[in-house]
Amino acid sequence: MTDYNAMTDDDFRKMLYNWLVENYPNELRFLTERMHWDECGDWYMTLANKGWLAPGWPTEHGGMGLDANKLLILMEEFEDYGVGRTPDQGMTMIGPLLIQYGTQEQRERYLPKILNGENIWCQGYSEPGAGSDLASLRTAAVRDGDDYVVNGHKTWTTLAMDANMIFTLVRTNKEGKKQQGITFLLIPLDTPGITVRPIYNLGMHDEFAEVFFDDVRVPVTNVVGKENDGWTIAKALLGHERIFIGSPKMASLAMNRLKVLAESTNMFDDPLFIERYTVLKLEIEDLSAAYTRFVEVLKRGGHIGAEVSMLKIWNTETQQRITDLMLDVAGENCGVSDAIPAGDTAVSAAGEFIGARPTTIYGGSNQIQRNILAKAVLKLPS
Amino acid sequence: MEDISLQSRIDVLSEEQMMIQDSAVAFIAQDTELKKVRENRFVQPGYDMQTWAEMAEAGWLGFLMPEEYDGIDLTFSDLSLILIQLGKGLVPAPFSATAVLSARTIVKTDNESFKKARLPALISGEWMPAVAWQEARATLDVKAENVTCADGKLNGQKLFVPDAGGADAFIVSAATAEGTVLYVVENDASGLSIEYAQRVDGGFYATLTFDNVTAGEQLASAAVAEQALASALDEARLAASAELLGVMTRALELTVDYLTQRVQFDKPIGSFQSLQHKAVDLFVLSEISRSVLLHTTALFDGEASDKERAIAASQLKSRCGDAALQITKDAIQLHGGIGYTDECNIGLYLKKAMYLSSLWGNPSAHRNRYASLAL
Repeated sequence: MTDYNAMTDDDFRKMLYNWLVENYPNELRFLTERMHWDECGDWYMTLANKGWLAPGWPTEHGGMGLDANKLLILMEEFEDYGVGRTPDQGMTMIGPLLIQYGTQEQRERYLPKILNGENIWCQGYSEPGAGSDLASLRTAAVRDGDDYVVNGHKTWTTLAMDANMIFTLVRTNKEGKKQQGITFLLIPLDTPGITVRPIYNLGMHDEFAEVFFDDVRVPVTNVVGKENDGWTIAKALLGHERIFIGSPKMASLAMNRLKVLAESTNMFDDPLFIERYTVLKLEIEDLSAAYTRFVEVLKRGGHIGAEVSMLKIWNTETQQRITDLMLDVAGENCGVSDAIPAGDTAVSAAGEFIGARPTTIYGGSNQIQRNILAKAVLKLPS
Repeated sequence: MEDISLQSRIDVLSEEQMMIQDSAVAFIAQDTELKKVRENRFVQPGYDMQTWAEMAEAGWLGFLMPEEYDGIDLTFSDLSLILIQLGKGLVPAPFSATAVLSARTIVKTDNESFKKARLPALISGEWMPAVAWQEARATLDVKAENVTCADGKLNGQKLFVPDAGGADAFIVSAATAEGTVLYVVENDASGLSIEYAQRVDGGFYATLTFDNVTAGEQLASAAVAEQALASALDEARLAASAELLGVMTRALELTVDYLTQRVQFDKPIGSFQSLQHKAVDLFVLSEISRSVLLHTTALFDGEASDKERAIAASQLKSRCGDAALQITKDAIQLHGGIGYTDECNIGLYLKKAMYLSSLWGNPSAHRNRYASLAL
């Protein structure tokens, strides 16, 4: 197996770029929306066959085992090439979580199926009555022999229509502190009693779904960790998610599109535009420095706590300012749904702008992130 | 005062770096009330010679300098640990101007005998030179035009020479037929007049006017002068940015402390969400700044080209300049009325930020340079 970490940065970049040119479908470059499985399944399998599906996982679990530096390079090369996101919650969320908290049996059962495309995962946390206050969730799992019987309603489940597995937080105890009666449960979506209903977002895209559970039987062996211990695990996973949405990837992607749009409209002849563009460019460069600093902690085997919220705040609010500028550059095309031809590609300013709305809401709204930092890091009084 | 930075949570220091940091923390702990700052402000030279002697004694003035000149050849990462504390303590000493800009300009020149003769004296604190390079407001261009040297005589004017009051000599860039050359001019040279402008932080800027001043020893030939100056200035920008990080960090600590202590409506005001969110935004700014400093010191300690260093220095200086101003401004707001009084120390941090953020190029100037070099 190739030791990617031993390659020089330049060689590693060239290898990635050359491979992308040969293997990544042109029509999927620089998309503004999340891809559904029917669009990206082939690409997912191309990555899987190459062994590049899980760049950050250790090699013994089938990942590329990249160190922080190489992982950032890979992200940069992929984003520079305009590679779209697959339904990747298996790689980014449940995989790392099972590596950390799963049993040996669970790892052997689920990790290979993520890597061969057999299992596509989605996340079942939020409920209509449990958003920012996630611990108030009510979807109930009641023990019946070797099974739980699950009843309830999850929402904001990204790409649930493409998934065949869902990792959920369910209530197994209604007594005591609400955080203490929650269990982390893995559920196959083809289990009888599950209904998935797509939700159309402001971009008119069915990226989310609701998932209904009606007397759904799930074996108790599908619990990750211990019963009633799910909150601790979920917090660790939220940590993974927060580092992920703190990565400069999406903001850089938006910045690349702004650049394409601006070049096609000669905006770089305008000193005022250059000034605004430079401010945003530096916001991303500075975020990259901060992100690398946090990734170094993970690379050393260290723990990242509440402080990682700062990356999420910076990243998502920068992304929104980038799309604000994009709208401005687009002029009247600001109000046009379709992508506008720009250079040898096309950019949808409206799509970018609308697509940036949820980033400050999901994964814990930015106001919640600020509450967390105020209490956990600045130790301000309640 | 509790350290609320993320350094102790997520960064790793070597044992040697811990010792360096501890010594700097102990150094500023001698004056937590900032009495020395107040004693020395608005009085020439605007800094404390005793403090300078103590820094020399501690070996700090030779941190970046090669051993052959009595330096100790440490790194920018090491030095930044000292500079951050100097910023936190508002230590009244021309560290970035003298121990970084002057010393590093000299070391990059091609006059070897001058280096051997004078650098040990600079490092021991006995000789204090100041660099006079700037000829216009808000410029980063080191090419000399206004000050000329012909037939061994200097004429023209240099602006914004920081901390010149205690300087024994000036390193002056001058236009010659061959290009920009650096000369050494003693502070009492005939024909040199020095005019001081008092700065808000209590120090002074000098304007040097040369009227047929006899040029002293040539420090750098036209072959190396501009490059030496430009490169040393980028190192000085890094140093000023590290000081700015210290300034903003302590201003934030003082503010968080105040929010925790100050009671209104029967509650500590730090329990109000609008103030909490404001404080968090300032914290995020300070840690983004610290991240860029870490990135930049690593780049300067490695093998980077002059252009890469210039880009990184501009990225850092624009971030730290903006962040320090933002944080100290909002620190005044969060302190309320008491923050607007001279007796409250928080205002000293705002004024230091105003000085350092504009020194050697303000954030706008550095964003412009970044745009022209990196976009």
